[in-house]
Amino acid sequence: MIVASNLCKSFGELQVLRDINEEIHTGEKVVVVGPSGSGKSTFLRCLNLLEQPTSGQIFFEGQDLTDPKTDCNRLRQKMGMVFQQFNLFPHLTVRRNITLAPTTLGLQTAEEADENAMRLLTRIGLADKADVFPRKLSGGQQQRVAIVRALAMNPDVMLFDEPTSALDPEMVGEVLDVMKELAREGMTMVVVTHEMGFAKEVGTRVLFMDEGEILEQAPPEEFFSNPKHPRLRDFLAKVL
Amino acid sequence: MAWLTSLWEAVWHWLSTAIFAPIWQEIYKTVIEAGRWRFYVQGIGNTLLMAAVACLIGVAIGLLIAVVKVVHASSGEKPKGWLRILNWFANFYTTIIRGTPMVLQLLIIFFIVFAAAPFHMAIYVAALAFGLNSGAYVSEIIRAGILSIDRGQVEAGRSLGLSSAQTMRLIVLPQAVKNILPALFNEFISLLKETSVAGWISVVDVTKAGDLIRTRVPNFSPLLVSAAIYLAMVLGLTRLLKGIERRLSQSDRR
Repeated sequence: MIVASNLCKSFGELQVLRDINEEIHTGEKVVVVGPSGSGKSTFLRCLNLLEQPTSGQIFFEGQDLTDPKTDCNRLRQKMGMVFQQFNLFPHLTVRRNITLAPTTLGLQTAEEADENAMRLLTRIGLADKADVFPRKLSGGQQQRVAIVRALAMNPDVMLFDEPTSALDPEMVGEVLDVMKELAREGMTMVVVTHEMGFAKEVGTRVLFMDEGEILEQAPPEEFFSNPKHPRLRDFLAKVL
Repeated sequence: MAWLTSLWEAVWHWLSTAIFAPIWQEIYKTVIEAGRWRFYVQGIGNTLLMAAVACLIGVAIGLLIAVVKVVHASSGEKPKGWLRILNWFANFYTTIIRGTPMVLQLLIIFFIVFAAAPFHMAIYVAALAFGLNSGAYVSEIIRAGILSIDRGQVEAGRSLGLSSAQTMRLIVLPQAVKNILPALFNEFISLLKETSVAGWISVVDVTKAGDLIRTRVPNFSPLLVSAAIYLAMVLGLTRLLKGIERRLSQSDRR
């Protein structure tokens, strides 16, 4: 579904991604872990071109995103993204946050989008917050709304960029629960996270990144019980 | 207490003959005699007209320039050719406007750019000149307002598939407005006063009106009346704008 080939990204002198080749298949739940500064967020943000790769290509459903002729706005509609800082639109109600993109892009009528938003909000138990502004919500509630805002576009894949890192500990669970449910429904997911428990439980494949490279990848059982690369062993010893 | 009353009467008599009467006479000569108030009325009308038109032009230009600069700055290492040209022009414009005196800009626009304009059109040329001038300052105000919005907002909009123009219009600008308004209102007040140089191209604004009357009433009051009129206009405008600002910040606390 997503193919990254020879992906490189530098910020000035600093090389953040070194020649990454990776493929994400439909239905996979790929969890990316690694120390901070390892390039895992940059890798994720390159997948929907929030970061412009310095070189290399990204293919999404067969189309080259890095080709200037590609309409990347249209492709992004099919790639939902959830951010560490939620990034809800503070000047719009929860309902409007969810319906803005589908109605603006002409994918749904106002009524359809509204119905869809209410259905999604009911699913995460926040139907009563539809007409509230985001600042009135807790961090966990905001992040759940951010997830359904992305889902309202009916994406083919969901990208999560450390979705629980900015949350108070007691709110991490409610967000992970929504993500687990999403995984059970078969959504293709790429998740950058520090939640090893989530990686074990939900991941179909875990990638370990360090210094801009994917050093090791394996299904979670093997990844956690039988790490091979010394840097991964070192990393797991610190976080587990 | 009789002495107190007579003292007050003496003071009052002195006040009215030595202070109030001359002031009244002065104002009478300046404002009322020979219908001179009509100069002021004309001046107020012209000043407000120029300020209002210039304000609209300034905001339109300012918004355009600000968006060009922000889009150029955020488009990474290799912006498209037409964007580079627009950005170059935007920088050129703000540099020239901010680097030269207002009066000179006014004279150049009236006597060189619009050399063929008849004198009765001078007020519109002046309004255009003030608008062009204000646009450069407004663009910086709006640019700062746009930059005050967290990058994550743009990223969230783009990640949903919105174009950069849609993100700007629906997500960034509505939020930036609240940060822009106080500084923008300040600029409006400056603009109102800056129109006072329109007399250079023979527009009778409040300043020019006072100056014209001064040549007929060789005294101090014509210019002071002009000053008082500006003060009143600025105070009125300040109140109006404060009211708008308060209304907007109330809706903010929902």
